[in-house]
Amino acid sequence: MSTATLTSVFVRLKLSLLRNGLRQSSGRRTAFVVSMVFVLLLAAVQLLGLIMLRGNEHAMSLVVLLTGLLALGWAVLPLFFPSGDETLDPTRLVMLPLRPGPLVAALLVASLMGIGPLFTLCMVVGSAFALSHGVVAALVSLVAVPLALLVCLALARTVAAANIRLLTSRKGRDLAVLSGLLIAVGIQFVNFGVQRLGDAGGLAALDPAAAIVRWVPPASAIGAVDSASDGAYGQALAQLALSAVALVLLLRTWRHSLTKLMTAPDGSTLAAASEPTRKGTTSGLHRLLPEGRTGTVMQRSLKYIWRDPKTKGAWVSSLAIGLIVPIFNALQGTGSIYFACFAAWMLGIMMYNQFGQDTSAFWMVALTISSTRDAYEELRARTLALLVITLPYTVLVVVVTAAALGEWHDLPEALGLSFALLGAMLATGAVASARFPYSIPQDSAYKNVAPGQGGLAWLSIFGGVVMAALLCAPVIVLTIMLNASAGSGSETQWTVLPVGVVYGALITWAGMRVAAPQTARRLPEILTAVSKG
Amino acid sequence: MPDQAVEETGGVRTAPPAVHVEGLWKRFGEQIAVAGIDLTLPAGSFIGLVGPNGAGKTTTLSMVTGLLRPDQGRVQVAGHDVWRDPVEVKSRIGVLPEGLRLFERLSGRELLAYNGRLRGLPGDEVDKRAGQLLDVLDLAGAQHKLVVDYSTGMRKKIGLAAALLHNPEVLFLDEPFEGVDPVSAQTIRGVLERYTASGATVVFSSHVMELVESLCDWVAVMAAGTIRAQGPLAEVRGDAPSLQAAFLELVGAQGRDNGESLDWLGGGAR
Repeated sequence: MSTATLTSVFVRLKLSLLRNGLRQSSGRRTAFVVSMVFVLLLAAVQLLGLIMLRGNEHAMSLVVLLTGLLALGWAVLPLFFPSGDETLDPTRLVMLPLRPGPLVAALLVASLMGIGPLFTLCMVVGSAFALSHGVVAALVSLVAVPLALLVCLALARTVAAANIRLLTSRKGRDLAVLSGLLIAVGIQFVNFGVQRLGDAGGLAALDPAAAIVRWVPPASAIGAVDSASDGAYGQALAQLALSAVALVLLLRTWRHSLTKLMTAPDGSTLAAASEPTRKGTTSGLHRLLPEGRTGTVMQRSLKYIWRDPKTKGAWVSSLAIGLIVPIFNALQGTGSIYFACFAAWMLGIMMYNQFGQDTSAFWMVALTISSTRDAYEELRARTLALLVITLPYTVLVVVVTAAALGEWHDLPEALGLSFALLGAMLATGAVASARFPYSIPQDSAYKNVAPGQGGLAWLSIFGGVVMAALLCAPVIVLTIMLNASAGSGSETQWTVLPVGVVYGALITWAGMRVAAPQTARRLPEILTAVSKG
Repeated sequence: MPDQAVEETGGVRTAPPAVHVEGLWKRFGEQIAVAGIDLTLPAGSFIGLVGPNGAGKTTTLSMVTGLLRPDQGRVQVAGHDVWRDPVEVKSRIGVLPEGLRLFERLSGRELLAYNGRLRGLPGDEVDKRAGQLLDVLDLAGAQHKLVVDYSTGMRKKIGLAAALLHNPEVLFLDEPFEGVDPVSAQTIRGVLERYTASGATVVFSSHVMELVESLCDWVAVMAAGTIRAQGPLAEVRGDAPSLQAAFLELVGAQGRDNGESLDWLGGGAR
């Protein structure tokens, strides 16, 4: 088959896949249209911004770094969204009689279809326009724009092809589930960086970095436009050549890994067979826990926090956000020690939808619960597993916040409030787990609710949080009264601590007492609700 | 039927049927999955529940094991009502469902340890039984690997081990041989035959007639949410040459396209 025919086949395949994907559900169609509009708006704003940047003395620095960032995004993207583009997976083409040369060309052209490439094109065109002054620079742009775009796409494809074994393995899918976390943390860093930029006196701070990046493909293609505008034609040519060489090298690497993928045997089963074993890793933990259902359930819950990527992701973000919010506020001078209660609140949310976290494996639990007593022990064990982490962590966050603010005298009060809130969250979480269970899709990092159960999840968590606040009201009122009657620093404020501890413990116990009979009665309904993912 | 484990009939003590179902219904929206079935499965038998895909086998087994609430009807296992007396029933049954997950982030051995202890068995006993089951089911080499890394056959085997761990009176298996390689299938067969030989009951669903014919002594045929026939294997088979033929007749799926439209297929003409 000739390259041209093959290319047209792949372009049509890509369009069909896109169309059929959209036909699957109206939700997906809506999501596509919304993201399309959003990306186009973003691209338009970027384009406008880049055009307005024209003439700015630091334009080159910003534009070159943006291109570098874009290329980095393309390189990392396939690692996190391996299932986003089915034509990305060359192992699907193994059975077809195709030569790698034409295949590479066809796949590269096919990968030009899509929102991502369109956005990239807008960015690159805007970048070239911001920098090009004069006829020569315009001519260089004509080469530089497609070159930069192709390098980005080839980069994504090469990374994907080189890592396909990883991406189709269980480890790779686990990695993808954790990607949401990396992106969230990454955004914090970018945010931090932008703030630092503001402090450091604007765009001039970018110049040293840009001096290097403008020689790195594909940013070097954009750098060439700037060099041509300055009349440094030799430099422009060198920069263009660098990007061109990079493109050729990427295509060759891609072709090499394609050939290897399509001729070597599939190692997925071999990989599974050589997975490391887990002998004796938790025997110590086992000895510390009580016998019977309590210890057994606690042990499984704690193992899942570490081993299940979805659970791990939820825990890490809860722990991180629970610490970041009070501490950052304290460091910025706008904080209050009461913000530390936020940690108890974030961690208490982990109690919600307990059975949804089991997925449809809940049937194993359901088959062993035959009385209210069993259900109570199950819920109590899950709560205890949570407390193993949440109790010390709540204390830690409150103490660190107090240290950051220097408000040591309010420490017992904040601790008492936190414990009461934690207890209320655990109690409402237990009841919500029994009354409003919902499925958590396991394959996607970004979906935490199965289609059609969004309202249920929202009701469960939002309603529960409001209830928890109401349940906490006695302790909150006590705190306010003590503060109002005696002023800050009074001798009686410490009483909030024992009151909070006792109240939190009592309300947790009461919540489980309410939730247990409902759980025991609703086992088949819970199983149906959590098996939709 | 009275709610007791053993009933008196004319002075002769007879064990109650392993499963007794009366007027069982289940609808999912417009679709009727199970349309009022009556079923009596004798204790101590190897029972096959056969039917084409979508016949309602999984729905029936889910309702019988208490994992799905029926719209209507009564289910008794070993003489105890599944919905009114869960304590008696749940300790007597073992289940291997189809299409539901396991706790896949546990290793095979951890899964058995977890399941056995949840069922209230003493820890030492669980570990002893788990070790033997893992050996017999040929999973000893993979016992410390996470279940998520297991193949289909290994998953079925570890699920079977979990279902057998508390030595149930009645074992319910939904498609236990689906997607299982011949070696694992033979292993599973051996364990099940040994288990029924001691007087326990196995109820399993399948659409592979040869398998049912070679394993079972009692068969119930399901199609479109109803029971088309039930009884000892020979009775259900009747005059037909094989269970397959009898089954096709019962579900009315004979004499379809004889293949004239595919006359280009095969050697010779291109």
